[in-house]
Amino acid sequence: MSNPWIAIGALALVGLAIPVVMMATSALLRPSVPEQGKRATYESGEIPTGSTRIRFNIQYYMVALLFVVFDIETVLIFPWTVIYSDAVAEVGLARALVPMLVFLTTLVVGLGWAWRNGAVRWVRSPRAERQKVEQ
Amino acid sequence: MLPLQSATPLPDRISGLLGLGQFGVPGELLAGLLASALVATFVLLNTAVAGPWAKRKITASFTDRISVNRIGPFGLGTIVVDSVRLLSKELIIPERVDRPAFDLAPLVLASSALLGFAVIPMGNGIQVADPEIGLAYVFAIASIASLGLVMAGYASSNKYSFLGGLRAVAQNLAYEIPLVLTGVSVVIFAGSLQMSEIVAAQEATLFEVAGVAIPQWFAIVNPFAFGLFLVANLAEVGRNPFDIPEAPTEIVAGYQTEYSSVYFVLFYLGEFIHIFLGGAIIATLFLGGPAGPVLPGIVWFTIKIWLVFLLTQWCRSAVPRVRIDQLITIGWKGMLVLSLANLVLTAAIVGVIA
Repeated sequence: MSNPWIAIGALALVGLAIPVVMMATSALLRPSVPEQGKRATYESGEIPTGSTRIRFNIQYYMVALLFVVFDIETVLIFPWTVIYSDAVAEVGLARALVPMLVFLTTLVVGLGWAWRNGAVRWVRSPRAERQKVEQ
Repeated sequence: MLPLQSATPLPDRISGLLGLGQFGVPGELLAGLLASALVATFVLLNTAVAGPWAKRKITASFTDRISVNRIGPFGLGTIVVDSVRLLSKELIIPERVDRPAFDLAPLVLASSALLGFAVIPMGNGIQVADPEIGLAYVFAIASIASLGLVMAGYASSNKYSFLGGLRAVAQNLAYEIPLVLTGVSVVIFAGSLQMSEIVAAQEATLFEVAGVAIPQWFAIVNPFAFGLFLVANLAEVGRNPFDIPEAPTEIVAGYQTEYSSVYFVLFYLGEFIHIFLGGAIIATLFLGGPAGPVLPGIVWFTIKIWLVFLLTQWCRSAVPRVRIDQLITIGWKGMLVLSLANLVLTAAIVGVIA
């Protein structure tokens, strides 16, 4: 049995080579016709205004924070699921399941707290609220 | 008949056939490259048929139109014509783009989606590698795509792209956890993260109906998890009803607004490979991998991933798009709670029966 990671590395090489070859082929085929205004940022035909580096809805940030918590949780759940069946046979149902239930309950309490605090509720800005036409 | 699940992965068989075993690591690498080339060709062939042809034909049949039919039988020549047409378009780099990130984003998306196929057992022993942590690996690789999307959204220096990138991240964050939690509920049955073990665990007979043995596919054992996984997977690959990162009627084309020529092709390609990767994960976890009667494994595997592709296109034609606030609500308040409940219930039931 050879090392599987060598084969995965080989697929990574192939996976990189295919897009790079496509880019090279396209570079050989495609024309280049520089024109005034062609490279302007697309804003539906209007003249672009302002920068893109703007403030955005804080909601995206809240959701990302919540994700970190639950992602680490899934990392801890992975090994538990692998050994679960063996663990039940070895030490019985209670000792295999209950500690994980306690852990999950803690997280669900956390989710409930975030839920009540509105971290997963989409907040409209006051301006969007004013401009709302129908509900 | 060839064995469904050969014990040796494809690179080892190739190195055995060509006598590469005596060259040590370079020989292994060469065998790995040959196997990877085969798998990549298979994936790209499916993508080539799906992207420029099948997608249009399926949408056309849903909306009662004819679609591509001019070149070749059933318009199949469109695949070649379209790829040449798209590759020979002028590449327009907009002003003020963030240059390395703008060029790398399509590469990240296409490569990562292809890399996920490394551990997928495709039947007849076609599997590039079979590491013990196969399932964790495939989830990890599949989520690299969101990095590509946010790179594209931020580097384009376009407000539509920026919004699209943010939406892509919010969506993938909200649905990644239900996806993984539902995925590991299968691991409770299989007791292993190795893909070949997960497939082997589904071979046993669950019950017999009129002499026909119904296999223990996890879609039949736990249909609730199967449904959850299908929905989470739709969101993960960004298809309707969860295609808000692209949302052509709201934000032009989302993160790919400013991409043209080969970069656009790579985005398009990456998305379709991603759909097939999602289909491959579903087939492996819930539909018995390459298992099936009469036909060889690779054919069954192809049928299964195309069924998932058909489902995504069906939803594209039939289901309206959700709003971003609805998406967050469904993800965090609905799917997450349901997937946690699924995990606990599965664990409890398996524990009581075992």
